[in-house]
Amino acid sequence: MAAMAAGLRGLGGRFRWRMPAVAGGVRGAAQGAVAGQRDYDLLVIGGGSGGLACAKEAAQLGRKVAVVDYVEPSPRGTRWGLGGTCVNVGCIPKKLMHQAALLGGLIRDAPHYGWEVAQPVPHDWRKMAEAVQNHVKSLNWGHRVQLHDRKVKYFNVKAGFVDKHTVRGVAKGGKEILLSADHIVIATGGRPRYPAHIEGALEYGITSDDIFWLKESPGKTLVVGASYVALECAGFLTGIGLDVTVMMRSIPLRGFDQLFKEKSLVKIEVWSCHCGDIKHSMAATKEAPCRQMSSLVTEHMASHGTRFLRGCTPSQVRRLLDGQLQVTWEDHTTGKEGTGTFNTVLWAVGRVPDTRSLNLEKAGVDTSPNTQKILVDSREATSVPHIYAIGDVVEGRPELTPTAVMAGRLLAQRLFGGSSDLMDYDKVPTTVFTPLEYGCVGLSEEEAVARHGQEHVEVYHAHYKPLEFTVPGRDASQCYVKAGCRVDAAWTLLTQSPPGLAAEMFGFQMVCLREPPQPVLGLHFLGPNAGEVTQGFALGIKCGASYVQVMQTVGIHPTCSEEVVKLRISKRSGLDPTVTGC
Amino acid sequence: MAQRLLLRRFLASVVSRKFSQGWGPPLTSQALQTPRGLTVTPNPARTIYTTRISLTTFNIQDGPDFQDRVVNSETPVVVDFHAQWCGPCKILGPRLEKMVAKQHGKVVMAKVDIDDNTDLAIEYEVSAVPTVLAMKNGDVVDKFVGIKDEDQLEAFLKKLIG
Repeated sequence: MAAMAAGLRGLGGRFRWRMPAVAGGVRGAAQGAVAGQRDYDLLVIGGGSGGLACAKEAAQLGRKVAVVDYVEPSPRGTRWGLGGTCVNVGCIPKKLMHQAALLGGLIRDAPHYGWEVAQPVPHDWRKMAEAVQNHVKSLNWGHRVQLHDRKVKYFNVKAGFVDKHTVRGVAKGGKEILLSADHIVIATGGRPRYPAHIEGALEYGITSDDIFWLKESPGKTLVVGASYVALECAGFLTGIGLDVTVMMRSIPLRGFDQLFKEKSLVKIEVWSCHCGDIKHSMAATKEAPCRQMSSLVTEHMASHGTRFLRGCTPSQVRRLLDGQLQVTWEDHTTGKEGTGTFNTVLWAVGRVPDTRSLNLEKAGVDTSPNTQKILVDSREATSVPHIYAIGDVVEGRPELTPTAVMAGRLLAQRLFGGSSDLMDYDKVPTTVFTPLEYGCVGLSEEEAVARHGQEHVEVYHAHYKPLEFTVPGRDASQCYVKAGCRVDAAWTLLTQSPPGLAAEMFGFQMVCLREPPQPVLGLHFLGPNAGEVTQGFALGIKCGASYVQVMQTVGIHPTCSEEVVKLRISKRSGLDPTVTGC
Repeated sequence: MAQRLLLRRFLASVVSRKFSQGWGPPLTSQALQTPRGLTVTPNPARTIYTTRISLTTFNIQDGPDFQDRVVNSETPVVVDFHAQWCGPCKILGPRLEKMVAKQHGKVVMAKVDIDDNTDLAIEYEVSAVPTVLAMKNGDVVDKFVGIKDEDQLEAFLKKLIG
């Protein structure tokens, strides 16, 4: 039969038939974890943003690479394909649904611009979800093809360490394979946390793992949490017309712990020029969002229909006879108990690293006792020299796709390309895609003040109104931009009481402008298309742009982006930062 | 070789009557030819896939199935690699089936869902969908990616048939 087949096709046929892989079958059984005889140069555990980037880069450098990826279904049963969090249950579906919500707003504006659109326009969750899910699936396929094209071996198995060079992979059907490699990269990312201590949380609530894959509309939703995940989800759910409540324990956009210090509390000490003599505590810490910015974000959401329950924590979730969920919570400000009925409860109370089933102890990889995230040094190396970790699973790293991707590529270059370039986690731009988007790069105001001292930080700010908001009469109260710049003095300053200092300080700072240019420490932009706006400025800040250069940059008109280069009013001056007219 | 062909033709005459009843065991493409040259247009809204969609179109179940019904087929085969999540596939699929059916059995069509048959799709270097291969005697002789209109499909099929 085989001979016949060969005869039929002719010799040298381009597509020779070969035995297809049996579903769940084993390929590449390990030879044994003996140095020089291992199966792969590089084994990547986790097929997400970081893992895939690292694997493809290493393969391009001519190495033998394998990727293992496995998605443990969520408690709700949701599962997805190759690509990791970003592709399947993060950035991609989030941005698409955010766009769906934004379109709702544009449809409402349309009549003002002359469009004869009957209002209100209904939204069909099913149609949106199907379109989003189809796109995600096409990306799953795309990644699969890419791995094949780059000659990276792919196994859909759940991995766990056997020893520091060997990993056991278990396929869905139960079949096991052993894979050994000279170098191993752990890029397993994280999963949403369930507040297991809350009765009914696991049985009745869902998380971001599930929301994008729901076939039916979530209906009246309670989002618990104050992270960007909570606010983004609440934002687009509100935008498509659902009844949404956000319940938060304390402050929005968690990750920022310090209170903004009032000017009167800051000591102004005797100092002299500190140019270049700054203790810059370089650590791979995520720059936390400004509290001021986060308040503006939630203010905007509140004025557009999202309900906020602040200072509340849920204590119980019950299912009622009609299928709805009854949530009981404690209001910390009043001390009273509250209840509410919802169709869906979405937990957005943080993410936990996906390390539990890895058997890290078999390999000797250390994790943080607090977070269980993997500890690495500046080369992304773990406590085991040939085992590395990148992405969300790593302690102290930003939980962002672009940083994981870049770190993965640089790691591959260091391992196999003779490079010594380390990943720079400084000045990483990011954007929160809430209904009014918040883009930022560099330090928050609080962090700038903490690192450099209040007297060394000048913050320029402005409230502005996007031109497009004018015709439909949209509220622009929260459209705001600020830049914090480092200031160095040319001479000493005597201790004075802050209130009387205001005017003099303003004048003083103006003189300083002619001194060594004030490097921009952080830029924060709240407005439409914040991601698009911030990306370009991130380059400038990476290059060490100064406030002088910002001032010298001509704006593009009419845009929102130009407000950045038009920043002139400092917070310290106390002048009204509202931009009026051209 | 000749014996096999004879055997196939014999089987074809025996089983050809089963077609009109719909379901049947996986058959070689030769056997799908019917004297009457029926044209059947399947309902594109059907979500339940049977092995055979129409007289001239069938779904591939796995690698061996592909080997058997496409690679080893004596009749030229048009292979439609598609996916559930692919919008254009839902337009091209029925259109191609219709044009294939019009060729009176001179060409048949195999549908391959790339998520169900990932290895096969990768082996045939499918990156975007829909990807349509023209296969003759087990070799890929022509190919296109994306949507085509009926005239273009007609030309594609005529070229394959020769």
